[in-house]
This record gives sequence, C-alpha cells and structure tokens, in this order.
Amino acid sequence: MATVAPGVTTGPYHAVLDHIHPEPTSFIRKYIFSIDAKVIGIQYMITGAIFFAISGFMAELIRTQLLSPDGAIVSPATYNSIYSMHGSSMVWFVVIPLLTGAFGNFVMPMQIGARDVAFPWLNLVAFWIFPVAGVILFSSFLIGAPDAGWTEYPPISLQGPPGTNLWCIAVFLIGISSTMTGINFLVTIFKMRAPGMTFTRMPLFVWAQFATAPLSFIATTALGAALAALFIERVFGVPFYDPKRGGSPVLWQHMFWFYSHPAVYIMIIPGFGIISEVLPTFARKPIFGYKMIAFSSVAIALLSFSVWAHHMFTSGMAPWLQLPFMIITMVIAIPTGIKIFSWMATLWGGAINWKTPALYATGFLITFTYGGLTGFFLAAIPADYHEHGTYFVVAHFHYVLYGGSIMSLFAGLYYWWPKMTGRMYNEKLGQLQFWLTFIGFNATFTPMHWLGLMGMPRRVATYDPQFKFWNQFATYSSYVMAAGAILFIYILIDSLRRGKKAGPNPWGARTLEWMVSSPAPYYNFKKIPAVLAAPYDFGNPLPYLGLEAAPGATEATPTHSSHPVPTH
Amino acid sequence: MAVSVAPGHGIAHGDDDHGHDDIIYRETRDMRLMGFVLFLGADVVLFSSYIFAYIYLRNSIPAWPPPGPDGHALPRLDTAFAAFNSIVLFGSGVTMHWALEHWKHANRGRFNLFMFLTILLGIGFLGGQAYEYAHAAIGGWSGNTFGASFFTLTGMHGLHVAVGVGFLIALWIQTTRGVYTKDRFFGLTAGTLYWHFVDVIWVGLFFLFYLW
Repeated sequence: MATVAPGVTTGPYHAVLDHIHPEPTSFIRKYIFSIDAKVIGIQYMITGAIFFAISGFMAELIRTQLLSPDGAIVSPATYNSIYSMHGSSMVWFVVIPLLTGAFGNFVMPMQIGARDVAFPWLNLVAFWIFPVAGVILFSSFLIGAPDAGWTEYPPISLQGPPGTNLWCIAVFLIGISSTMTGINFLVTIFKMRAPGMTFTRMPLFVWAQFATAPLSFIATTALGAALAALFIERVFGVPFYDPKRGGSPVLWQHMFWFYSHPAVYIMIIPGFGIISEVLPTFARKPIFGYKMIAFSSVAIALLSFSVWAHHMFTSGMAPWLQLPFMIITMVIAIPTGIKIFSWMATLWGGAINWKTPALYATGFLITFTYGGLTGFFLAAIPADYHEHGTYFVVAHFHYVLYGGSIMSLFAGLYYWWPKMTGRMYNEKLGQLQFWLTFIGFNATFTPMHWLGLMGMPRRVATYDPQFKFWNQFATYSSYVMAAGAILFIYILIDSLRRGKKAGPNPWGARTLEWMVSSPAPYYNFKKIPAVLAAPYDFGNPLPYLGLEAAPGATEATPTHSSHPVPTH
Repeated sequence: MAVSVAPGHGIAHGDDDHGHDDIIYRETRDMRLMGFVLFLGADVVLFSSYIFAYIYLRNSIPAWPPPGPDGHALPRLDTAFAAFNSIVLFGSGVTMHWALEHWKHANRGRFNLFMFLTILLGIGFLGGQAYEYAHAAIGGWSGNTFGASFFTLTGMHGLHVAVGVGFLIALWIQTTRGVYTKDRFFGLTAGTLYWHFVDVIWVGLFFLFYLW
C-alpha cells in the first residue's frame, strides 16, 4: 500500500486498475462482442427493452381479453400461455437483466473508479447468453408455450405443452448468465475500487449491487437445480415432483421459492440503489442515513433467504413452520422501512428539482410503499388464506415490480441517459410520460386489490360478470400505461436525433461517473482518481483527487452555477 | 495483452522488489482466485439443492428405501464397494495435493508422477461408479424417487469428476508447454481446489446414500 494523499492509501489492487486494454477498432469488437462494461450494459439495455416491449404487448393482450367476462379475444389455453410467458419474460428477461446486467455494468464500474469489471470476458459471455436464452424462450410459442404460470407448478407443468421444455432451458441459461454476472460484480466491488474508496465511501448504487450479487449466484443455482429436475422429469420420466410416483409437487415449490424469493430482492435492491442516487441529486441534499441505507440492503439480502415459504401457506405445510416464515417476512419491513424513511428525510427540506428522474423516484416511494404494505397483508397467514391465488396477489406484485422495479428503471434510465448517449431528452415530454405511466399504473392495479378481496381468482380467461366494471376500468387504464411506454420510445428516439448536448454532468451529481465526459471514454478515467469521502456531501467540494477535470463539470445545481471543480 | 498507457498516480506500486508485471500477475491471480471460490460456492448450492430434494423425498414417504415394483422394499446400496471407491477418490485428493507441492518446489518429475496418479485414480473412481450403476438394483434412474435422487446426485458428482479429469489433463498439457512457472501457477491452484471440492462433496453424498 502506498499513500496517495493525507488519509488516502491505495488498495492492494491499483496496478490492475491502472491498466487499460487497447481500444478495439473493428465494429464487431467495439459494438457486438465488446468487453467494455459500458457497451455491454447498453447491449443489456437494448435487449431487455425489446423483451419488455414483447412482454408489455402480452400484458395488453391479457387486459384486452379481460374486457368482457367471457373472454374477448383468445382461447383460455392461449390465454394461459400468454400470462405464463408475460411473467417469465418480465422477471427473467426484463427486470433482472436490466437492473443488474444493464445498470450494473454501465454504472457500477465507473462509480467505483474502475475501468471495467474484474472479468470482462466472462461479462461478454454472460451477456450473449441472454439474447440466446430469450430467443429460446419465445420460440416456445412455435411448439406450444408453457401454460402453468411463470411459477410452473407441477403437476400441471409436467403435463404442459412441449414448449415447457424450452422454458426450462431458457430460464436455466439466463440463470447461468445471472450467476456469472453476480460473481463478476462481487469480485469487482471487492477488488477494484479506486484508492481511498472504502466500503463506507461507495455510492449507494454500488452498495445495492454488492448486496444483490450474492443473491444472483447463490439463489439462482438453486433454481437451476429445480429446473433441471423438472426438465429431466418431463423428458426422461425421472420422478421428483409427480405425486403419483412418490414425488412431491411441494418440493418444487420449496426449491422454486428458495430462489424466487431472493430473486424478488434481486429485482428491487438495485432499484433501491438507483433511487438512492437520484433523490439526493435532485433534492440537492446529502442522503439521509447513508450507512443505514447501505446496511439495510445487506440485511434485506440476508433475510431474503429465510422467507420463501410465505408463498406456500396454502400448499400444505406444518402450521408450526408457517409462523416463523410469517414473522421473518414481516421483519423485512424494518430494513425496507429504514430506507423509505431515509429517502423521505432526504427529500425533506430539499430544494427539489422536479426533473423526470426525481418524479419517478418520488413516484417509486409512493407505489413501492403501497406494494410493500399489501405484502404485509399477504404475509399474515389468516389474511393470506383469503387472498392467495386472487387478484390481490396480482395487484401486490405489480405494485412492487412495476411500481417498484420498473419505476426505478425509468428513473435510472432518464437519470443516466445523458451519460449513455451524451444527449438530453425532452424534459416536458419526459414529465408527461411520467404522469401517463404513474396514473395509468395506479388506475390499472389499484382496482385489482378490490377484485381480489371480492374473490376474483388470478389466471382465469373468463370471470364472473359481477367483476366486469373494475376489470374494464383496469383495461382502459392499462392503455394509458401503454401510451406512456410508446411515448417513451419516441422520447428516446427524439433525444438521439435532436437532443441537446448533455455535457459531462447535467444534473450536478457527485458520483464518479459524472466526472468524465458524456458518453464516457473507453477507459472511463484517464487517471484513476483517489476518493476522500462518500459522494453525497452537496455543498462541499468534490471528494476526489487526481481527476482530470472533465470540461464543464461543475459542482452546481443545474440552474445555478456555483463552486468550480477543485483541480488538484 | 494489457497495455499500460496510464501513469497511475505517479507512486510506487507496492513496497516489494518485484517488477510491475509481477504485481499485475499477483492482483489478477487474487481476483481470479476469489471468482473461482465464489463459483465453487455456487456449485455447493447446486448440490445442496438436490441433497435437500433427496431428504425431502425420503421424509415424505413412510419407509425408506421405497418399495420396488414387486412391493418389497428396494435393497440398500453396496456400502463396502462404495467405501472402497471413496478411498480411491480421496487418495486422488492426496496425490493432487502432493503434485501441487512438488510443482511449487520445482520438482517436475514428482509432479508428473502425482499428476498421472491423480488422473488415474479419478478415472478409476469413474469406473467404479459405472460398475456400481450397473449393479445397483434400485429400479434405475426413472423407476422411483430413490433411483431419481441417487442417480441424479451421484451422476452429477460423477460429471464433476469427469470434468475434473479433463481439467487436470488440460492443465498437465499446459505445464508441458510452459504456461506455468514455479511462481505463476494459478491454473494448477484452481485445478487442485476444484479437485478437493469434488472430494468434499463426495463425503456428503457417501454419508447420505450409504451410511444413512
């Protein structure tokens, strides 16, 4: 170790950090098979966006089907396949790859002051598994897509159409990709931080990736085991899950949820990280409770391994076992609540600059909290007996996944878009897009709570006419959301074509990725900077030494220019 | 491959006498080691999942082993033979350890000998497993939950051993081509770790299927 500046010693890994691979010159090595984490992040983004569009289209098919009580457009069998594929695709091919693969790759290495991840080639392979697995997943429509829901419970999934085998393969492959990314990120965060960046000086998005990475490779492996067993049972008749042959369908539920509950946190903790970056930047205030936000991510990740059976209260489980699962599930509300209150305290008294990312982050606070509270209802065993398998569950997980994960994705994309492309988006349209999404979303999913409590089961192609009004209301509202999504595509294209130049730091943010030009150069930093403090002390000089000052990077609010960057 | 174009902070890298190249090697090696250990951790979860499945299935019926097609309980597995085969595998762990130690002491002859023995014992274990598969009268892979668990778990372990044998052969070829030196042998370290990992998994499986 060596001392860089008073109070800053280099970590043991700075020699590797300083190294720069020569920038590739061919188109293929630059944009197709690139090993640059930023390019890979954008590749994830584009691929995920395509799958998002397909899944969103399927969601609109689902809603349109439910316009009339006797099913308006597709047969019940097709309907089963559509919602199964919508769920599978959204979870494994949209939310998880976008939050970890896309934002993790694009933002995290820059935020820790690294030039790339620890294993760039592994990163390349992990990315390319993703589109291949996606093609395999969607090609199952050609031979009969899986129809037992995204959870594929046996014994129904054992009798499912041939496409279920492709589903197993696709999800298994994306699991391998996720495992690779998890290991890669964990080593990167452990070993490649810039000199002086101690754990308590890491940006909170990095903390979020740090808490998520172990989930990605520990929990996902358990899912791989469950999927492989389902596959060999379907193909070779090896009995694991078939109750007629001594197997147990509940075994699948245990193995599946042992993965899929942690996966819920793979799908939200990076979102927490995005919110923790966006809120202080737009409130122009230091983040409230930095350490509590950071540690609560880790607490959530640890607790997430011991709550899976709360999905199975009605599956036949010993009553004495249900109680601890209920209690631990409710305990997760504590670290989550710590975050929510810290974010509210961050906004409190801030001169909030209501740009689109800030709107999305604040919208997230509302919708995610709402979704978290209904989770509390579902965790309570007696209430769950009534709500299980109804639209109340659908409402709950869309509030946490769309109102949580997707809203944070939108916040992150608007926030880092200038860094990715070097261009600003149209702010007025962005705000309109937020309101379409926010209002459309709430109007679509709030009535589903009522439908569920009234007893409307999920996963049905037709329903009792008494539920007609709120179903139609939800469907028309979902078209508002769809309009928001289409407007979003227009905004991005418009920004690429006409957006004004963003400059290195359009938001006056303080984390390291904003200290370089937009789009960031291949090697991120000309010199690896030294880090003196956590990045959120708005109003103080930037805590970095040795930065090659990016032209125009100012420690200032977007409207008022104040301190110039200290150039050491 | 890596080209240094950045002068860094203009400070000395580390306080030892090695060159810059050595430091790069050491840092890269440490990162790879961590990544490899995490990969093995993920692999532990894979085995644990099937072990959980086995325990779950075993406990979900009243008697174990479950009855075969004729209504009688299936026979137990041949513990004595499996114990012998286990010794073969654990022995290969010992020889692998010696191989690595002799590499560190630049004793090429002994290294080659123990590498050879390790690979031989690994293949021997696989042969023993094949013999056992042919003689285990528990109804085959798809006959019942006992066969399903046993053949899936031990088969997956056998696959790991087979991959390990391939890994060791590849490493051995690399050593003849001068890929590794007395001081730089991360591949051999990884191979040894992997081989010991496969041994340790077998301890668990042996207890589960033969002693329980």
